[in-house]
Amino acid sequence: MNTVIIINLNGNAFHLDEPAYQSLRAYLERAQAQLKDNPDKAEIVADLEQAIADKCAHFLRPHKNVLSLAEIEDVLKQMGPVQTDGAQASESAAAHEQPQAAASSWDTPKRLYQIREGAMLSGVCTGIAAYFNIDVTIVRILFVVLALLTGGIWLLVYIAMMLVIPFANTDEERAAAAGAPFNAQEVIDRAKKHYGEFKNHKEWRRHWRQQRREWRRKWHDGAYWWAHNLQRNVHQFSTPSGYGAQLVAGLLIPILAILSALVFILWIVAIVQLATSGSIFGWAIPASMPLWVSILILIFLYSAISQPLRHARRAIYFTTGGYNYSWFAALDGILALGVLALVCWFAYTHLPQVHQFFEHFNENWQTMWNNIVDSFRHSGLTVAVHRLAELV
Amino acid sequence: MTPDPKFTPIRKGLLEFLILQIVSADKVYVADMMNRLQNTDFATQEGTLYPLLSKMRREELVDYEWQESDSGPPRKYYKLTAKGKSQLAEFKDYWDYLNTTINQLGR
Repeated sequence: MNTVIIINLNGNAFHLDEPAYQSLRAYLERAQAQLKDNPDKAEIVADLEQAIADKCAHFLRPHKNVLSLAEIEDVLKQMGPVQTDGAQASESAAAHEQPQAAASSWDTPKRLYQIREGAMLSGVCTGIAAYFNIDVTIVRILFVVLALLTGGIWLLVYIAMMLVIPFANTDEERAAAAGAPFNAQEVIDRAKKHYGEFKNHKEWRRHWRQQRREWRRKWHDGAYWWAHNLQRNVHQFSTPSGYGAQLVAGLLIPILAILSALVFILWIVAIVQLATSGSIFGWAIPASMPLWVSILILIFLYSAISQPLRHARRAIYFTTGGYNYSWFAALDGILALGVLALVCWFAYTHLPQVHQFFEHFNENWQTMWNNIVDSFRHSGLTVAVHRLAELV
Repeated sequence: MTPDPKFTPIRKGLLEFLILQIVSADKVYVADMMNRLQNTDFATQEGTLYPLLSKMRREELVDYEWQESDSGPPRKYYKLTAKGKSQLAEFKDYWDYLNTTINQLGR
């Protein structure tokens, strides 16, 4: 159910849904702004309103007398942006650029907002999904994967986005799907505004204090619970494991350490090969898959393989060391690093390819980087990245 | 065929003269003009056309008169003025001249 607004388009009354009204008002305001120096502004706007009215009339039936947002958007799309290029073609280049820019901002009318409707947490994902016109679920999955891959750092990015990206709250903001691109100045202005609101709003402050108390309590409880359980686990691990288990675990330490080091080396080699020649150990990746995607997959695979290895190693420290597990952890780390260093040294001295790679490291690094960037550029994602870059 | 985006300014510049040409044949209103242009490379929208027509009227190239229509409100029917007529003739000459120049340069 929506509020209906009655408007007068050049003498014709129309019933519009609230969102449809906002959209139409934004269009007409933009038209007014575009024509502000035009002596015939009133007449042109009247003509435009009449044309819109004619188009709107097509959507009305005896039992359908309210226009929806989709219908208005359709009408406005047919109308096209109000341009005065023709009128200014003979004037200076600068004057000519302006309506162009205004027109293109209508063509790509989007700004990044957090959208509360259908949000799980704050609306960052829904906002991004709306902005790039993709399914929210894909964005959410992407965020979870990123959070896992970056070991939680992405969560900080998410929180930053939560704080920085504005909410599509007011009518103006919803209608301003078509405003100027979201830029740094605006971030600052908004931050100031929010800060002002935040300071003044008593209700908000009370809420925030309460929230903080709640968090602190949970945090204390949680920390206590973790500490308690960890201690108990160490006790459990250290006492019952007999000599047999300790022996096996002791043998497993070097094996797992070497394995982890080898997986790491293989991974690095695979990425280098992929970025320089587009194939991994002689297997060419399908042409349809961009380079950067395959590198992402490699990173994902690596974390999928190395994560369990790491956990296995950690479990063994407890089994063998009990209370003194930290000694075993240190030993294990040194062992893995040693293997890594040994392999690197061996490769550098005995494998000419590796030696050459490091001899010309600068150029090689440059080609690899260029390859990756090119693959990114060709995949049509640059637009997306540019938009992201605008935000940052 | 989608022409090179580089040609867009050419089309934009020509639009005004195409409208002169359309108006020269008959009294037309905006929807007529758009229909004529619809299947050409010069297809345009009200958002562009109304400001352009108002500019052309200010320059006294076209003029309009209100006419009642059977369906809906009265419409503005545009017609060519004497100045518009001479401008159109001038444009056609100039266009021929440009064509000749382009073709000759190619030899």
